[in-house]
Amino acid sequence: MSFLKRFPPPSDGVRHQQPDTEALLAGRSLGSGTLYIAESRLSWLENSRVGFSLDYPTISLHAVSRDLSAYPREHLYVMVNAKFEEETKETPMTEGEEDDSDDDVEPIAEFRFVPSDKSALEAMFSAMCECQALHPDPEDEDSDNDYEGDEYDVEARELEQGDIPSFYTYEEGLSHLTAEGQATLERLEGMLAQSVSTQYNMAGVRTEDSIREFEADAMEVDIAPVVAGQFEDAEVDH
Amino acid sequence: MEVSHSLKERTIAENSLVILLQGLRGRVTTVELRDESAAAGRVTSVDAFMNVRLAEVTFTDRQGAVSQLDELFVTGRNIRYVHIPDEVDIRATIEEQLQAIHRVRYFGGRDKGRREFPHAKHK
Repeated sequence: MSFLKRFPPPSDGVRHQQPDTEALLAGRSLGSGTLYIAESRLSWLENSRVGFSLDYPTISLHAVSRDLSAYPREHLYVMVNAKFEEETKETPMTEGEEDDSDDDVEPIAEFRFVPSDKSALEAMFSAMCECQALHPDPEDEDSDNDYEGDEYDVEARELEQGDIPSFYTYEEGLSHLTAEGQATLERLEGMLAQSVSTQYNMAGVRTEDSIREFEADAMEVDIAPVVAGQFEDAEVDH
Repeated sequence: MEVSHSLKERTIAENSLVILLQGLRGRVTTVELRDESAAAGRVTSVDAFMNVRLAEVTFTDRQGAVSQLDELFVTGRNIRYVHIPDEVDIRATIEEQLQAIHRVRYFGGRDKGRREFPHAKHK
């Protein structure tokens, strides 16, 4: 496989490392090696130190497959929006006959990572989810993330009275904060994080680790105690 | 009701319909991808960038082959449609999500917050 290169294993931001993992591309085995799930990219290095890396923006999806009837071994499936050179027997003509739209469709490459330790699949999957979330789509033109929110400006003006705080959108609010204010914001967010999470005992200090772990578990954190009383109130308002 | 713990993500969600998708957490639905494959499963989470995590997935690839996946994460960029289950009350779901965000935002002065910012603009 000509896309395999020699490079040192990543050392920074490695969320998960899985040795004894076989890598397959389009069904062909590339050998056994170590999968490195790092914040900057996904890398796999065969035991002889050649391997490849995938950038998260090119990864469309990843999944844990335990369906042995679909594929005989439990693995981490990764679909990439890119073409990789592969020695395949499929000719362009054959593909064209079967599916005319192939030329218009983006290329995809399917990787499977089969760890010898199947119980690691959950951790591998979660680590990839976390890393993917660190690479939002920079070309996202559909969604309006400009925070222009005219309605918010109107409210802020209407409600600007004395010491009642105005309602800032993210960018506006942040620009009003001094460096100290921003530090306070971060500390308070960290405190909020702890008030709803009993697992983390960092006394008021929001370290990188606790942010990472906390956001990783964000979906499991349940702020139900705060929620319970609120619904009734909300209905009254409506 | 779970809300993102990132201020940036809460703000994005509040300003976009992704907030509706976040309200689908726990529900079973189908996500159609750009490459015309589809994933049907239970929504574990949806973040502000519309990255969707599903569990107990039945995946139909673009050739039509069906397989089961324990968990699936698909990037927002690659999603074409997310089906909203018929039984979901869209308006109520959006409002509940917004309330959850506001509770987090005003956790220090909750009551004061509610009187100051009537929900009129969300109606």
